[in-house]
Amino acid sequence: MTTTRRGVLAGGLAALASTSAPAMIPARAAPPAARTVKAVMHADLRVLDPIWTTANISAYHGAMIYDTLFGLDENFNPQPQMVGKWGLSDDKLTYTFELRDGLKFSDGAAVTAADCVASVRRWAARSGGGQTMMKRVKDTPVVDDKTFKIVLSEPYALVIDTLSTISTSLCYMMRRKDAETDPNQQIRETIGSGPFLYNRDETRPGNRHVYDRNPNYVPRAETPSAMSGGKVVKLDRVTFENIADEQTALSALQAGEIDFYEVPPQDLVDDLKKDPNLTVQVLNKTGHVALMRLNQLYPPFNNPAACQAMLYLVKQDDIMRAIFGQSKSWQACDSFFACGTPMTNHENTDWFRHGQDIGKAKELFAKAGYDGKPVVVLQATDHYLANPAGLFAAQWLRQAGINVDLAAMDWGALLSRRAVKKPPAEGGWNIFSTTVTGITFSDPIQFTGQAANGDKAWFGWPTNALQETLREQWATAPTLQARQEVAKEMQKNAWDFVPHLVLGQFFRSSAWRRNITGVIGMPEVVGFWNMEKAA
Amino acid sequence: MLAYITRRLASTVLVMGIVAVFIFLLLHLSPGDPAAIIAGDNATTEQIDAIRRHLGLDDALPVQFYRWLGAVLQGDLGISIFSNEPVAKLIGQRIEPTLSLALTTLFVAVSLAVTFGVLAAWKVGTWIDRALMVVSVIGFSVPVFVVGYMLIYVFSINLRWLPVQGYTPIAQGLGPWIEHLILPSIALGLAYVALIARITRTAMLDVLAEDYIRTARAKGVATSSMLLKHALKNAGVPIITVIGIGIALLIGGVVITETVFNIPGVGRLVVDAISKRDYPIIQGVILIFSGVYVLVNLAVDMSYTLLDPRIRY
Repeated sequence: MTTTRRGVLAGGLAALASTSAPAMIPARAAPPAARTVKAVMHADLRVLDPIWTTANISAYHGAMIYDTLFGLDENFNPQPQMVGKWGLSDDKLTYTFELRDGLKFSDGAAVTAADCVASVRRWAARSGGGQTMMKRVKDTPVVDDKTFKIVLSEPYALVIDTLSTISTSLCYMMRRKDAETDPNQQIRETIGSGPFLYNRDETRPGNRHVYDRNPNYVPRAETPSAMSGGKVVKLDRVTFENIADEQTALSALQAGEIDFYEVPPQDLVDDLKKDPNLTVQVLNKTGHVALMRLNQLYPPFNNPAACQAMLYLVKQDDIMRAIFGQSKSWQACDSFFACGTPMTNHENTDWFRHGQDIGKAKELFAKAGYDGKPVVVLQATDHYLANPAGLFAAQWLRQAGINVDLAAMDWGALLSRRAVKKPPAEGGWNIFSTTVTGITFSDPIQFTGQAANGDKAWFGWPTNALQETLREQWATAPTLQARQEVAKEMQKNAWDFVPHLVLGQFFRSSAWRRNITGVIGMPEVVGFWNMEKAA
Repeated sequence: MLAYITRRLASTVLVMGIVAVFIFLLLHLSPGDPAAIIAGDNATTEQIDAIRRHLGLDDALPVQFYRWLGAVLQGDLGISIFSNEPVAKLIGQRIEPTLSLALTTLFVAVSLAVTFGVLAAWKVGTWIDRALMVVSVIGFSVPVFVVGYMLIYVFSINLRWLPVQGYTPIAQGLGPWIEHLILPSIALGLAYVALIARITRTAMLDVLAEDYIRTARAKGVATSSMLLKHALKNAGVPIITVIGIGIALLIGGVVITETVFNIPGVGRLVVDAISKRDYPIIQGVILIFSGVYVLVNLAVDMSYTLLDPRIRY
């Protein structure tokens, strides 16, 4: 083989020509920029089946391409969405639902009652609220193409609330053939009857997800309100851009390269408000709750006294200031159900009024018989809450004389380790921190973290018979007032056995270009219907 | 020569095999569970277990390894756990931005660095030499992301000359393609310029002290001809070697640069995959990176024969 300079040169020129040639090919037509909104959301969309995962970003994807039977309005009241008419029998055992006229999937097929029944059943297999409801469901007969029933074995007042839940997983309606997929298996299809359709051809996983206006969608006539009302699409296209670096995303927003940034760095929000080209606003008025979960399978937190000691260690102000700086986007909260939600109450919150008291915490740890074994605190160094929360927890525990093993890791490793039920010294854990949206946190049925049924409970696996009885009472209470009364009892009990601690409640601002209008605020999801973009 | 290339290509397969085993074990023995990430924050232990079973992640490690290896040997890099897309397709979608960034960086960096190196050697001891070497030290010391943010602040936010982020495929026009690559190439290339410029200067100084250079000067050969035809060509072997070694530096830098400038390349793909423990993507990309690295080194070795007729394989 002979390599010559001439050969190398010719090869180089050929390579250059081959890379330049595509420049001659016209680019594929895309909607005009004035009718396209480029958005950077809080996370990269990884899973397209919003039932298979409880990840919020998948719920956002779901809200784009699927619709729900009922939707919560901005006052948390369920309103019919895909349902046109519905009724409850006199014996309160049979709900009858009739779908609106003209509902179609994005492939053109009509939405039928059979699609909805299959969708409700698959969703219920994954959702905490759905499971609680289905325990009372005797049958779900299809009456005709547009009508189906939910027949109960006993009256259950939360059927409509459960179907309209805005906490993950939401009850999205899918095609029957998709909805009959095993709930533990991911659906690969993305055909829904929602306001947008998913454009697979233009989508590049990990980079950009593209949604186009669904021409088959028939919006309701009412004014849009959170997940209810007319989801009128005034854009041709919405793209979820995955810009991993916060600073780059912020620069792109300021330069007008993106239109909407769901969660800009919160310590810079006050500065962003000074930018005349941007609108900065909190869309989720119930915010997020930061919580610290205690593993009640092992000492010291298998003793309620040690859990109560933690109530006297935590200083919410410190953690919130560490994350949000001088921004006023947070509040200390004493409620087991998030503050500002229908279940908020102030039962059994002496610890909150008392404030941090290291001495009292020491007493309670001693009462719990703390034996000096290391308490394993999981610290996700790449997570905006779990990092400072881990550091603060370690410091406070040390001040109270507790031996701490601060286990640093990334968020992915924390998600894995918190599911380990082994003793802390063998790869398990004692404490981790995370966040939950306020509206989810306030629902003791939908949010599995409020359960205390041992092995079946959320990570930390608390066991408390009274809590389970009260959750059942809450679920079967006939009115909102009755549920609020049960919620007080639940909180009174919860702050005694302390499955987790509240580290604060915060309200993240979103930012968008001034030429974007019609942004709808709601908890848990960001909707892109009603949104307009001026040139 | 052909026998040598065959031997080297065979060793590439061996290297990739070792990398495959190493990466597989490293990934599966390190903390993290894709099932827990997929399930989401509100999922229960039962739901996570069900997803793990469904994905086959609860099978014994050797079973998982042979399953993966068997597929790789048939040219199948697997399916992404999260997006359900074939890994080869995902890499294919990301290869153009990475190649574009790497090649433009190489082109800009090598052109500038060799010029600077030659200039510094020619003007050794003068303020030009010192200034270029100070610049190269700074270039080598400042992290890529700092340079990147500074460039964005000046040229995108303040002057509005160039886009902050993103990538436009070359098929959509040469102008937008270049526009999106200027800042990333400078940010990524700075360290590379510094490295190559210093090596070029040293190699040139060695060559410029040789007798044949003195002879050329005595014969009245023009300075430019003496520097470029006589000296630079003979200083080429160490320069080419460091360019080859620098490919590894470039691969590392591409990962950071793609993140800072939001370029949807292979670097971003693998960083995202690591954060969510998407094993098939990580394994596939690293396997390809290792192959590319070995092949680049082979190409560098081959190029020696062009520069130095004494070298034969």
